[in-house]
Amino acid sequence: MSLADQLSAYLGRLWGREVQVLDLARIPGGASRETYRFDVDLDGERRGLILRRDPVGSLIDTDRRLEFSAVQSFYGRGVPAPEPVALEMAETELERPFFIMGRIDGGKAASPFTVDAYGVHAATIGEQFFSSLGIIAKADPVGLPISEVAESPDRAACWSKELDYWADVIETDQLHPQPIVWAAIRKLRRNAPPPAQKISVVHGDYRTGNFLHDGEGKIIAILDWEMAHLGDPMEDLGWAIDPLWGHYDPDKVGGMLTRTEALKIWEQASGLKADVQALDWWSLFNAVKGQAIWTSSAREYRDSGGKDPVLALSGWYTARRHDKIIADRLASLEGWA
Amino acid sequence: MTPTAAEVLMGNFMALVEPPPQESVGDYMASRIAVIGMNSLLASQETEMGAAVRVWENEAISALLSKAGTPSATSTEDLSITALDALNAKLRLVLIAVHEAVEAKGDTALDREILILYQAMADKRMLVLPVMAGS
Repeated sequence: MSLADQLSAYLGRLWGREVQVLDLARIPGGASRETYRFDVDLDGERRGLILRRDPVGSLIDTDRRLEFSAVQSFYGRGVPAPEPVALEMAETELERPFFIMGRIDGGKAASPFTVDAYGVHAATIGEQFFSSLGIIAKADPVGLPISEVAESPDRAACWSKELDYWADVIETDQLHPQPIVWAAIRKLRRNAPPPAQKISVVHGDYRTGNFLHDGEGKIIAILDWEMAHLGDPMEDLGWAIDPLWGHYDPDKVGGMLTRTEALKIWEQASGLKADVQALDWWSLFNAVKGQAIWTSSAREYRDSGGKDPVLALSGWYTARRHDKIIADRLASLEGWA
Repeated sequence: MTPTAAEVLMGNFMALVEPPPQESVGDYMASRIAVIGMNSLLASQETEMGAAVRVWENEAISALLSKAGTPSATSTEDLSITALDALNAKLRLVLIAVHEAVEAKGDTALDREILILYQAMADKRMLVLPVMAGS
């Protein structure tokens, strides 16, 4: 049975009516899941949907229940999250767990490896980008669906929980010794950040390339919630402004705004302070986290026989860029570079 | 540092040799081929500079280890990437241990030299994508 037939059968059982899946096509992006677009015909009315299915191998090992609940948490709550439709954990339907969301048409996502990605709309998009991040940071997780599946850490332990997790990923997956990232990990352990100002939903991969914009200055969807968790809101901020996502423009974070402008918008939207000491820590941490993801990519690329070129690009080009970012930041934090 | 250029070029072949399922043609395949193209481009850079960078890095780490009082092997007669990487892995492991000891001792001068070496190592390993305009 084809994937389209399996999907038609599943949705038919779910909705208790005959469903025909049309124009099923895999699309690029969201490298941690297989992503497909498709339409369903419901009594002559077509509806656009997205299927996100667990891959055989992936950049990162994440729990789709967290991703689904994070989308549920922000759909219709001031952040352009897609509509959550269905979550299926059983492997009997489509061979691997998956979930389905509403499709938001008419948008495009920028590749992080392009220059001037947003043109004349950069500032307008940047304002929405950091404002939405602030809204996510401000939200009280208590009562949101994600609180039912995500553990809430102590405010003072957010940093160690995340650092321990990603250091362990590097320890487990590294195929070649990495002195630069280990120096950063030791520095992070020696210099703990202040406790989180509050516990927030952390998107986990909030950056350029993970949202859709309409080409006329409007963000229409925030995507790729697969690394969502509860923690310190500074984590997302540090990731969003990492130089890797700057579209090769050292003067603009995310290729959109100056750092000062971005932090001001985030502070206004979140009601929180972008504390310098905390942001220094979380910025270096995020470069480590990036390197952990690329380390896993390289491992998965080799283990899976080299069939996914995105894993190669991530485990190679991107890993080397993050090594450079970490080495420069270590020198900068010493105050002599 | 992984993967090697040889692994990536082999992977490019593997990624293309199997016909995709019907639902994976179109935009997905076009994007996949673009990434394969980028990987090939990066492989051309790595093929040109890979051996020289590894020889340089191995010598630079060895020099620093000598200064730190931990002499190590400096070179290999086998200039294949595999052999250079094997030596590099050994040297990097020693470098990590030495750096930990330097930090514990509070030797700021040597710590600084190591961090400068890290910057140079990262610089020389960098791969460059061509300038691609955004949408």
